[in-house]
Amino acid sequence: MILPRVTLVAGLLAATTVYAHETSGQHGGRVADAGKFHVELVAKGETVDVFVSDEGQKPVPAAGFKGTAILVVGGKPTRVPLEPADGNRLTGKAAAALGDSPKGAVQLTGPDGATASGKFN
Amino acid sequence: MSTRFAAALRAVALLAAVLAGPALAHEGHDHGAAQPPVSKTIAPRGEALSDAFELVAIPRDGTLTLFLDRFRTNEPVPGATIEVETPDGPKVATATTDGGYALPAPWLSKPGRHELLATVTAGDAVDVLTVAVTVPDPKVAAAAAPAKPAPAQAALARLSEVAHDVRERLTAKDPALVAAVAVAFLLGVLVTALARGRRGAPAVALVAIGITIVLGTAAFAHGDEDHGAPVQGAALIEPRQTTPASSDLAQRLPDGSVFVPKPTQRLLVLRTTMTEQGSFHRSVELPGRIIPDPNASGVVQSSVGGRLSPPPSGLFPRLGTKVRKGDVLATVTPPVQAVDVSDMRQRQGELDQQIAIVERRVERFRKLATTGAVAQTQLDDAVAELNGLHDRRAALDKIRQQPETLVAPVDGVVAQATAVAGQMAAPGAMVFQIVDPNRLWVEALSFDALTAAQNATARLADGRALKLAYQGTGLADRNQAIPVQFAVQGDASGLRVGQFVTVLAGTDTEQSGLALPRAAVVRTGNGQDVVYEHTTAERFEARPVRVEPLDGGRVLVAEGIGPGKRVVTQGAELLDQVR
Repeated sequence: MILPRVTLVAGLLAATTVYAHETSGQHGGRVADAGKFHVELVAKGETVDVFVSDEGQKPVPAAGFKGTAILVVGGKPTRVPLEPADGNRLTGKAAAALGDSPKGAVQLTGPDGATASGKFN
Repeated sequence: MSTRFAAALRAVALLAAVLAGPALAHEGHDHGAAQPPVSKTIAPRGEALSDAFELVAIPRDGTLTLFLDRFRTNEPVPGATIEVETPDGPKVATATTDGGYALPAPWLSKPGRHELLATVTAGDAVDVLTVAVTVPDPKVAAAAAPAKPAPAQAALARLSEVAHDVRERLTAKDPALVAAVAVAFLLGVLVTALARGRRGAPAVALVAIGITIVLGTAAFAHGDEDHGAPVQGAALIEPRQTTPASSDLAQRLPDGSVFVPKPTQRLLVLRTTMTEQGSFHRSVELPGRIIPDPNASGVVQSSVGGRLSPPPSGLFPRLGTKVRKGDVLATVTPPVQAVDVSDMRQRQGELDQQIAIVERRVERFRKLATTGAVAQTQLDDAVAELNGLHDRRAALDKIRQQPETLVAPVDGVVAQATAVAGQMAAPGAMVFQIVDPNRLWVEALSFDALTAAQNATARLADGRALKLAYQGTGLADRNQAIPVQFAVQGDASGLRVGQFVTVLAGTDTEQSGLALPRAAVVRTGNGQDVVYEHTTAERFEARPVRVEPLDGGRVLVAEGIGPGKRVVTQGAELLDQVR
């Protein structure tokens, strides 16, 4: 009798969290899918932070990852190489300040060499 | 808690779990699940869409081929810069001769899923696109291929086939069955022969064994079908394994959609448009005919009967000759009847006689006037009488010589000419018709009274459309219809008077729907109207639609497809031929 109730609650909870995360992430950025990961893009000033998590929104250690963010700023693409920082964060610096929520995409290369990319509109 | 309630709760829980499953994989979440290949004979490929572009990536033999098109129109984008992120940093793809872009990509030969990042710059438009390409493992593919029909399914198919086979044999009196019966009969005969007499028994036995072996094997060979040969069911035939390099062919997929690779799309010049909901004036189709503008055309008629002769230039204007208003086109000389001739002669003689008398009188008066014997007034009267007589005589001469000139009433082109030198023209007969080819009208017959017939167009048999301006509607009935006149606007070259056209005149009733070019709608073999929707980069799906006429170039799709869809407007006919 307990199992169905748990399933019910879990299902409803999962559905609500899913809707919540489409709009914004845990770090105030935008979330997109990149392969089997979720990536959250936080662009503030010239700094680009990318947080990697798995399907269940659990953080994935950034160590071993490599990344590139290409963001369109003022009608020109800007390439920002990303390096792993603490926790599940990869960070990089752009040459110029990035505007509010720039359009672009992030490509991640995992420790196994597999690539994953996410698009932000 | 009752069992029934528990069961209901369980059902709800189960439903929630099921619903939560897809909810987790919300829009765009496939999390590494490779898109199933469209067909076994199509090379692996990936595609990406954005508001502006559509990108298709095909990894093949260590080269990544990219095709870039406009999203809305499916027009190829030449001269774009495509930068692809590679393990060795960003690389720019070079344009190829077939309108694509190529990039050497040895890193893509590794099997598995590759997610590529391409930065596209075409003019002012900049876009970053992510493309996922799955390179199949050749070994895995080879191993998986023979086991493709599931074993259970194959066994079932085999079983049903064998049962069917036996049934068929029984009904068709198969030779194998007949042979088996014959052998049994033969053996029986031999056995009785052996039992009856022992003489020659070894020979008979030998013959019997020989026959049994020969027929027996023959019967068995037919009785058992299985020699490890593949089951020949249409549904179980393995698609031919061809090399991926040469296998990208336009084809109709089992689900009815049409797969057209990008290079083929370029050859067929497939173009699309985005459907938009709008409201349009409904139009009616009317049969019409080109007529000359009554204010810019005219006829040249002779008012008197007479002999036609060319104008002073010596030549009658022929068909197509440009004439200006007032040009002399021909002259008509009225013939003088015999009775008139004698009349004129008589009058001529009388006049000549009178002139001679009056001349002498004038001379006499002139001499006497100087002496005062005759009053000056008498001389003046005589001179005036003489002048009058001379005038009458001259007019009598002229009337026999002066013909009537026929002049062009308007500027235009000679549309009809019946003039032949020396011909006798009847009074009122048309000699020339003059039409201004740039000012033509269309007269259509309408069965309804058109109130505000604006936005009218005329469609010619060759598909050309003419813009028309409403001029007026008649009230007099003609063949149970009323004539409606329109002026042709713009270029009217190539039209001729009397040509039949189909007039589409707008009415007051408004219709809402999706307007599509007439060429977008294709009639399929079963008589259904379909449009092809561009669902993914290389896939087109037929959508049955209900269309209504809108105007000369467009139709209104009332049902079958919604707004915001890409519909093939050019090349749909060719797409329909893909099998």
